[in-house]
Amino acid sequence: MHMTMKTQKKLSYALLVLPALVVYLAVVAFPTIFSVILSLTNYNGGLIFGNPDIEVVGFTSYRWMFTEPTRSFYTSLRNNLLIVGVSVFGQIPLGFILAYILNQKLIKRGRGFFQSMIFLPYVISPIIIGVLFNAMIINPRSLYWEVARFFNPDIQFTLHSNPMLPVLFVILWMFTGFYMIIFLAHMQRIDPAILEAARIDGANEPRVLRHIVLPAMTSEIVTCAILAISGSLKTFDLIYAMTNGGPAGQTRVLSLFMYLSAFSGAPNYPLANAISTVMVIISIILIVVVRWAAKLFDRHGGYGK
Amino acid sequence: MKKLLSVLLAAVMVATLLAGCDSDSNGGTSGGTTGGSTGGSDDPVAITEVVELRVLNYYDMSAAGALEEQSVIWEAFEAANPNIKIIREDEFEESFHDSVNAYAAAGALPDVMYAWPSGRSTTLHSQGLLKDLTPLINRDGLASKYIALATDPSQQIAGYQGIIPQGVTATNMFIANLEVLNAVGLTPATTYSEMVAQVPVLRDAGYDTVIMPNMASWVMQSCLYSLIVGRFMGDGWHERVLNGETNFTDPAFIASLAFVQQMYEDGVIPASSLAIDYGEGPGLFATNTGAYYIDGDWRVGAFLTDSTTGEALISPDRQDNFVIGVFPEIDLPGVAIPGRTNSAVLGTGWGINANLADGSPELEAAWTLVKWLVGLEVQTFRLRTGGISTPSIVGIDYGALPLEPLQVSLAGLGAKYDVATVVVDGAFASTVYEPLNEQLQALGLGITTPEAVAEIIQAAFEAWQATQ
Repeated sequence: MHMTMKTQKKLSYALLVLPALVVYLAVVAFPTIFSVILSLTNYNGGLIFGNPDIEVVGFTSYRWMFTEPTRSFYTSLRNNLLIVGVSVFGQIPLGFILAYILNQKLIKRGRGFFQSMIFLPYVISPIIIGVLFNAMIINPRSLYWEVARFFNPDIQFTLHSNPMLPVLFVILWMFTGFYMIIFLAHMQRIDPAILEAARIDGANEPRVLRHIVLPAMTSEIVTCAILAISGSLKTFDLIYAMTNGGPAGQTRVLSLFMYLSAFSGAPNYPLANAISTVMVIISIILIVVVRWAAKLFDRHGGYGK
Repeated sequence: MKKLLSVLLAAVMVATLLAGCDSDSNGGTSGGTTGGSTGGSDDPVAITEVVELRVLNYYDMSAAGALEEQSVIWEAFEAANPNIKIIREDEFEESFHDSVNAYAAAGALPDVMYAWPSGRSTTLHSQGLLKDLTPLINRDGLASKYIALATDPSQQIAGYQGIIPQGVTATNMFIANLEVLNAVGLTPATTYSEMVAQVPVLRDAGYDTVIMPNMASWVMQSCLYSLIVGRFMGDGWHERVLNGETNFTDPAFIASLAFVQQMYEDGVIPASSLAIDYGEGPGLFATNTGAYYIDGDWRVGAFLTDSTTGEALISPDRQDNFVIGVFPEIDLPGVAIPGRTNSAVLGTGWGINANLADGSPELEAAWTLVKWLVGLEVQTFRLRTGGISTPSIVGIDYGALPLEPLQVSLAGLGAKYDVATVVVDGAFASTVYEPLNEQLQALGLGITTPEAVAEIIQAAFEAWQATQ
């Protein structure tokens, strides 16, 4: 049988795409859809298929999640949004500025060293960082508090006033290097002749940044924002190791709330599945908002390429 | 040719992927549970071939006998039972509970596991994941070898014998450090008011009043609040709640919560205790950073001499300076029983996976191991190394044990209280006590009120009742 070139091309594309598609369907799409289904049932462990005791109970778990007396969902959501805020409005601008400083060679010596130091936290396991910062900042007998007490013996431990602050600081410190590397790689691709021409025409550094560098980086900024948002909603390991969501659940995030609902004390799988479904929905909404904002900005003559 | 190659390459990739997916299809573990099936047959089954047992062990590496446990318990058992091979997983604290819950969810629980009679092991009992050991106990005539509570199924959360406990646990152990107190000219407080009066004196000298590792939310509830609520609401309070005679919005319950808040406000328990990990408490106390230490009686083992290293957090020559008792009298209005009470519960122990078939060599091997783990030799070892304070087995020769001063002090703990009230996590479902654990921390943070906490717990209790 003879295949036309077009058919051969289509077939080979299809076969090349198929493995990725199968993997995607198996490990992303199917669990997501199945999780939504389980969130509407009373399934609470044991056999899933062929268990006559599983019943569809509608939105019971969702109602409980939104109305339960300790308001864990809202605390977790607030913390996730704080992390999104620190990621989008902290890590990305800071990463951009650091990349710009390094790219423009504003630091004359030790550029490679600074680049490595800023990126280093990203390659360390979040579990190690969590344990490290627990010992360094959170623990009342930590180095930080011992030094603070040395200078001011009356200083009181203040974790209880805002438990999320140390977590947000660590998140800012840990991931800024990642965005810096992305921005730096793309900044290095901007034609130096264009920058030089602008400077010859009398543009100062802020004008070069505003009118040349930023417009050239729009798509990278949007990509980083999407990565930051999705990463923020998935935050788990660092907080698990650093505070385990405590004290009093004040540093809990949605993924940890989901985990604790599923695996702590009496398991509540329907609730855990309901939380994960809401996480997916929030994630999709935030990413759509970011893309919409980027398009809107583009349309108004913003940083579009 | 290139196109043909690319088609073939893609085909090979797909085939490899599908083969990879298929290769594991027969490797899964049966997830079915038989739900608290009764264990045993009329006669013991001979173990003629080597049986492998998966064992989940709760292993506190900070305990004095931690290293010795390997030889005294595990290697000794395998030497005496060459047909039983143990594949053991050691876990501690939250990682232990995480493992149990993950295994339970996956239907892959180990054959033999360490467990509580209620509390964090409620799921194992209430979902029938543990074998009912009563038939095996009866078959081997073991009941007479244990104190009555240990073989009374009604003492365990689901009303059947899911585990054999290795002791009875007093969940409040209050240690006074005379080295610190003497250094600032104080004596151990006998009332709460005396403790409050000591706070500024100790603070000025750079000491905390109480060391309590409160980062894990269960610690306050188990090691102190259960005692407090028992004193405010009186003996048998949990039964009155369960049968509707009173509820969690009762003024006495609110007063017990207000007392927790007051302890933080008075500086008796520092807010910084909420950032101290459970494993750190003994080290902080042994290095004289505080005047008093609050934990459960099981924790005394952390201070004793490790026989393998000869070192101790509190060396025997210092141990006379540490006095073990119960939390001082609460001399406040509205307290039903001011002092001489403690919260107590059956201790931890060992259970068997309900999936092990009756009459099988696997069940016989698991039962042999459980009998060893709660037997005379092992309980004597646990007693000697401070792992337990009140053994469940009878017949231990105390006179022959080289006990350290702290252990002798612990042995006198029972004489320091007349009433033992329930531990909250042993009396109520996790959907009730878990919000309570968290809210007790919230009181410490000053972000809630006792009345609000009472409302939350009552709502959680009513939600639990609705599911029953």
